[in-house]
Amino acid sequence: MNPLELTLGIMTAVGGFVDVSELVFAAKAGSTFGYALIWVFALGTVGIIVFSEMSGRVAAVAKQPVFNLMRHRLGLKLGLVTLLASMISNLITCAAEVGGVALILNYLTGAPYFLMAIVMVAVMIASIWILPFKWIERVYGLFGLFMLVFAAALVAIHPPWDKIAGGFVPQVPQGLSTKELLTFAYFSVAILSAVMFPYEVYFYSSGGIEEGWGPKDMLTNRVTSILGMSLGSMLAIAILSNSGQLFGPANVDPEIPGTAALQASIPFGRWGLILALLGMFFAIAGAAVETCLANAYGIAQFFGWNWGRHKKPWEAPRFTLTWMALFLLALLIVLTGVDVMMLVEFAILFSILVLPLTYLPLLLLAGDKKYMRGHANGPVAKALGWLYFAIISAAAVAALPLFVLTSGGNG
Amino acid sequence: MGRTSLVLLALLAGCSRGPGQDLQYIKQARSIAAEWALVNEQAAAGRLTRTYVLSMHQWLADGLRTADQSLTQPDSPYGREIHTLLGEPEDAAPAELRAHAERLKQIEDQLESA
Repeated sequence: MNPLELTLGIMTAVGGFVDVSELVFAAKAGSTFGYALIWVFALGTVGIIVFSEMSGRVAAVAKQPVFNLMRHRLGLKLGLVTLLASMISNLITCAAEVGGVALILNYLTGAPYFLMAIVMVAVMIASIWILPFKWIERVYGLFGLFMLVFAAALVAIHPPWDKIAGGFVPQVPQGLSTKELLTFAYFSVAILSAVMFPYEVYFYSSGGIEEGWGPKDMLTNRVTSILGMSLGSMLAIAILSNSGQLFGPANVDPEIPGTAALQASIPFGRWGLILALLGMFFAIAGAAVETCLANAYGIAQFFGWNWGRHKKPWEAPRFTLTWMALFLLALLIVLTGVDVMMLVEFAILFSILVLPLTYLPLLLLAGDKKYMRGHANGPVAKALGWLYFAIISAAAVAALPLFVLTSGGNG
Repeated sequence: MGRTSLVLLALLAGCSRGPGQDLQYIKQARSIAAEWALVNEQAAAGRLTRTYVLSMHQWLADGLRTADQSLTQPDSPYGREIHTLLGEPEDAAPAELRAHAERLKQIEDQLESA
């Protein structure tokens, strides 16, 4: 295990953890319910660690990406349904990220939103075309570390640390009306969905195969999953806590992503604002690239095409055309003028519906000794895997009714 | 079964007309007023870039117009409050904007407890 590679891997995971949905929901959750939803972020983070580690292990040992497994384990029909649902979920998520990036550039430069969306899609396509896989992840992930300014801002505003620590304990705030309870439940489901987005696992496991992982990389996989995602989640929790401290008492429920950047300007002024916007820009652009590639990986793996960025673009022509077409489709959605916040809501909703179907085949294969030999799930991974499968299944059932009853969390 | 549940949910969601249905737009307008106040306060203290302030004003005004146009009862007290808010200049005093947010919050609380 190369310590430099490992450190870079962890830092990349930290910088790439937060995307536009987490940003929006963390800020809204903090302003609406104070610190009471921190535990849901923690719960979701353990879940994404469990499944990322599992998918990385399966990629390293069985050399199987998630969608290959899905087709074999779920059968063609159910596999196709899952593929279609994942495609829609990833496409909407990608469109939300593209819209988010264009918005941030608009805050930074004042250039027109639609023009920025077009320019950024061109830049992101070029970056995937030019950069080797490892550097696609690193460029966006490492620059995404500018978001650490949100953690520094939290320290600078002297929050009530005891209350923040108390937020890690599972709870439902006392004295909520039925409507508020439903909104709290909706936020819980939405945060779980945002933290455990299926594209993260598709991208992570395909990335393991892109980088030629083998059994020797098991420790790297485990350490990167656990440390990278835990520290990344701390950034999201910092945004939530800043919001609870600064926005809630001021009657602000952030209605646009740019409001979150004020969290850094309040203690640090202009430089805080600029660092926050730069961090948001790279983190969201990284998520746009990941969702687009994750979608193309899924389609190519399902149909058995040549795939991977380790190949020259013309050596995997259908895969290359697919990711480019998906980026252009996401751009088209943004150019219709649909509100980014609405895209975020729909991305969250579709993702939670897909989550159980994504994670079930993975759970089955990671526990299969025939494929995994001595690296099959042990008792802890098995117990955690099934526990989280039950949690996300319950969340998937509750998501649509809660979305309708709370008007997407707007009461 | 699935389709029946969906229809039922849609009916449930559509049951509240008038102020009940407008509640989400009142909340949206209240938050926008408060965000606008925060932006103007920070801008006055020299903590924001001019580009950011101009962009935020534009997006907040867009959001406010959408909330205003979505109201089912534009001639209600909250409709008039949102209209007045829309008429404020971009560099309105934070205290003035907070007063709008406060009035909308009171209406919101009344509707929620009704």
